[in-house]
Amino acid sequence: MIKLSGVTKIYPTGTIALRNINLHINAGDFVSIVGQSGTGKTTLVRMLIAEEKPNKGKVEIGGWEITKISPSDIPFFRRQVGVVFQDFKLLPKRTVYENIAFALEVAGERWQRIRQVVPQVLEIVGLGQKSNSYPWQLSGGEQQRTAIARSLVHRPKIIVADEPTGNLDSINAAEIVSILKKINEFGTTIILVTHNREVVNHLKRRVITIHNGEIVNDEEEGKYRLQ
Amino acid sequence: MLSFLRVVKFALQDLARNFSLSFMTVFILILMLLSINVLWSLDVITREAVASVKKQIDVSIYFVTEASEKNVDEVKNYINLFPEITEIRVVPKDQVMVNFREQHKFQKEVLEALDELGQNPFGPTMIIKTREPKDYKKIIESLNVPEYESLIEAKSFENHEDAIETLQNITNRIEKIGVGLAILFAVISFMIIFNTIRVAINMHRIEISIKRLVGASNWFIRGPYIIESFIFTILSIAGTIGLVFLALRWVDPYLAVVLPSGFSLTNYFKSNILMLFGAQALAVLILTIISSGLAMRKQLKV
Repeated sequence: MIKLSGVTKIYPTGTIALRNINLHINAGDFVSIVGQSGTGKTTLVRMLIAEEKPNKGKVEIGGWEITKISPSDIPFFRRQVGVVFQDFKLLPKRTVYENIAFALEVAGERWQRIRQVVPQVLEIVGLGQKSNSYPWQLSGGEQQRTAIARSLVHRPKIIVADEPTGNLDSINAAEIVSILKKINEFGTTIILVTHNREVVNHLKRRVITIHNGEIVNDEEEGKYRLQ
Repeated sequence: MLSFLRVVKFALQDLARNFSLSFMTVFILILMLLSINVLWSLDVITREAVASVKKQIDVSIYFVTEASEKNVDEVKNYINLFPEITEIRVVPKDQVMVNFREQHKFQKEVLEALDELGQNPFGPTMIIKTREPKDYKKIIESLNVPEYESLIEAKSFENHEDAIETLQNITNRIEKIGVGLAILFAVISFMIIFNTIRVAINMHRIEISIKRLVGASNWFIRGPYIIESFIFTILSIAGTIGLVFLALRWVDPYLAVVLPSGFSLTNYFKSNILMLFGAQALAVLILTIISSGLAMRKQLKV
């Protein structure tokens, strides 16, 4: 499903973000990637959504080779990988419904299908009553649930969640993790990048620890081991 | 077709939901177009005024009394060879006499002196008009040849020479200043339009990055801005046309007094409306599309 072989990323400033990363994630896995700030987690996420390309090595995701992907193919690739960010990244001038529908509209889905799918994903994340609200009218948890709903509309095989609980209180964070677990139960691979100790320890799933751009720990039922 | 309709929908939504920004963009475009139209009108008025003055200038060649019709025709045919000539009119000696009497009908002494002579003391007169005032000198000099020395009594050019030269200088300066101002305005317009559009797009920077993340192709990101450019162009041109014609209703009566040739700026704009506003629409459209393209280029890089 996801395979990184000897991946190294060095930025033009000379900063080495990732060093010789070798990683294999199977379909349906729920993997937490933990690490302190500046250890390369964000660079890894950016590679997983084709925002960055490695200087060395190979990144393969669901049949796409990110190292060789052409700019015109990137939109198609991104429709197959759901992404959730700490700052939600919702279109501020569009309602909850429109934000989710937008991801389908740009993919060329027909109106009828959009009208059918959007309410379904809103129900999954428990926002059926908020479809006409604008992002600024929602709480942080609701905004994040909207972002998750948006990431689900294409029925992606992979969801990459970059610090999805970073801006949320513990109750909302637990809700978001619960939704991600529910999505994982349907067979979607979840990659959760976090430094929330509670969340990682509660999940009892595979934990990959990154330090100074290198994988320093990879446990099947891991725990948050950073200080 | 479906994606085009969606791009149009996104464009209209963006315009409506960013009303103040859209309004400011159109407002600035209208201001720039108005400045260009004012400059253009001034140029048209100047050209019309100069042409009107030029029309009134001519050079008269006064022949001696003895000059025959054949002599006059010979000179006329010779002058006609010059491409600068636009009009030659010969006034026969009898008509010259009639005109003179008409001109001096209230000057009894002059008419009495003429009567005392008992014969027509005037020769035929040839009135010449050229394309440009500067051409008169050349025509007059061409007549300073021995063959015609005995036929021509006087040339009126000397009387006009200074006026013609001054007018020529003024015309040349106005043209140079006009070209300079036009270039200056074009550069300022480009800078203002470019920056206005760039500010508008920079305000959408985050939106553009989000659109990219959810898998929008460049067409879906760029398309609405192209449609918005069309809408901005149509609105600004329509607004400018309305304001220009409104202003002309006020300006035209004043121009009718200054330019007695019956020139109307309203008629000028009406008869050139497609060319004038079509060119402006095209320029605004190209400018807005280039500006938005340049502003977005960085944000669309993967």
